[in-house]
Amino acid sequence: MSATTALVARLERWGTAAENAVLVMLLGALMLLAVGQIALRIFFSSGFIWADELVKLIVLWIALVASIAAARSDRHLRIDVISHFVPDRFARFPRLLVDAFATFMCGLLAWQSWRYLQLTIEFEETVLVDVPAWLAYGLLPLSFALMCYRFALLTIGHAIRILRPQSDTREAR
Amino acid sequence: MLLSIALVLLAILGAPLFTVIAASAMIGYRQEGIDLMAIAIEVLGIAGMPMLSAIPLFTFAGYLLSESNAPQRLVRLTDALLGWMPGGLAMVSLVTCALFTAFTGASGVTIIALGAILYPALKQDGYPDNFNLGLVTTSGSLGLLFAPSLPLILYGVVAEISIDNLFRAGILPGILMLVLLSGYSLWIGRGTQKELAPFSWAELASALNAAKWELPLPIVVLGGIYSGYFAVSEAAAVTALYVFLVEVVVLREITFRDLPRVMRESMLLVGGILIILGMSLASTNYMIDAGVPQKLLGYITEFVSTQANFLILLFVFLLLLGAILDIFSAIVLVVPLILPIAMQFGVNEYHLGIVFLAAMQLGYLTPPVGLNLFIASYRFDRPIMNVYAATFPFLVILAVSVLLIMYWPDLSLMLLPD
Repeated sequence: MSATTALVARLERWGTAAENAVLVMLLGALMLLAVGQIALRIFFSSGFIWADELVKLIVLWIALVASIAAARSDRHLRIDVISHFVPDRFARFPRLLVDAFATFMCGLLAWQSWRYLQLTIEFEETVLVDVPAWLAYGLLPLSFALMCYRFALLTIGHAIRILRPQSDTREAR
Repeated sequence: MLLSIALVLLAILGAPLFTVIAASAMIGYRQEGIDLMAIAIEVLGIAGMPMLSAIPLFTFAGYLLSESNAPQRLVRLTDALLGWMPGGLAMVSLVTCALFTAFTGASGVTIIALGAILYPALKQDGYPDNFNLGLVTTSGSLGLLFAPSLPLILYGVVAEISIDNLFRAGILPGILMLVLLSGYSLWIGRGTQKELAPFSWAELASALNAAKWELPLPIVVLGGIYSGYFAVSEAAAVTALYVFLVEVVVLREITFRDLPRVMRESMLLVGGILIILGMSLASTNYMIDAGVPQKLLGYITEFVSTQANFLILLFVFLLLLGAILDIFSAIVLVVPLILPIAMQFGVNEYHLGIVFLAAMQLGYLTPPVGLNLFIASYRFDRPIMNVYAATFPFLVILAVSVLLIMYWPDLSLMLLPD
């Protein structure tokens, strides 16, 4: 038990650190690239053709990595009526239901985007002039798979709290 | 039909909205015999939208500003400018919050960053407690109509109209809201007999000096955008880099160690918005292919025939929508559907944008899920019913201003280039 808990705790720390590191790099690259393009435009009236496409790809990657992070921190946009108006004890069943649904949907999305990814490899699609497209799009199935894992953990957590209500008080301490 | 009801139920129970939207798109695909992997292509469409880089960049800049001491400097500067007037501090609150919200994207950080300074200050100046609570809660989303607020940019991206023009269209309606709320504050503040500090050039000079690093920001950003020198996405990049250099490198109010945390915090919201945008690209494309806007239009024309009546219907619809959905999801989901309908009734697309956002601003303050209400309740440790009641007069004033904006299109369209 304690060995698995330690492993999970370590995975959580590494996961968070990896998300943060990637976000820092992507956001930094986005700033420098965009400002660089402006400088080129103003001082040399030129610019790189691929830079605009790269900026858009970075925005896509930021969207995906930030979605993984938002799933970890449970900050995806929801209509949050339940937690404000229903006592915690009764809110567990609806939470179990919606997070199980989210797990299923993310799994389905991961699978479908994995299928699409294989198609782009088969047709040798490219981005940024001649970079294979799967390098740019590979994050799509990966991020949905990670979100699926995240929502699965949330779902299991709700289930445990429904089955063993006393574990609540212990966690609170 | 049954499936749609189940999805709505799941959404209301609190399923992440992007999963609900994805499900509705995929159900549509199934019915039309389209391969489900088409959804991946639609989500990758995020990488095909122009100007979208402005959203992460402005959000990051806004979070950096709110974590630094810029809010204090802004309050001090506005106080030096307006504090000598009767009702001055209330106006200081409204103006600083509006400016700050415009730069931080109306995500609730205004209440947290500025409310903590303004709420006790208002109390000290003798304003009634409920008024202060209502004012600070309302201010959290005031300024939504001013550039470069996130909802304005997102609306421009989704509606595929010029963001520059949208920025222009928002100026006068935003000022109208400020004027009406200031008038109410003067009326409330008339009874407070506290001695007002006289205007002081020395304090103004000193406040200007303290804020000297942030002062170029609105000038460069707004000047750059309104003059057409910068595209919105370029202004966002310059803002983000400049704010980073000032707050982290020059003033060192945010340490490098803290930077990953601030970046992550700011990107959580961005990720939430953009993933919903990606999914709704799929669902709205499907709905437009299936002719949903035309069906809606046919349905609506059975009830209303004039533009005035259509606007009433729109107002009621947006109030209900704002009460349950956050502004970002609402823009992404609803704008592609109502835009063609509104055009049929002769509503200008920029006017519609301002009306939409102004009405959704009310949603921040309406029960049951108004974001500002809960942030204020949490931040100032007051029961939620208390916050509802305190905010109600402000909500009424804002609703009046939304109606004015709605039935006075020129207010939005006056500043647009021909």
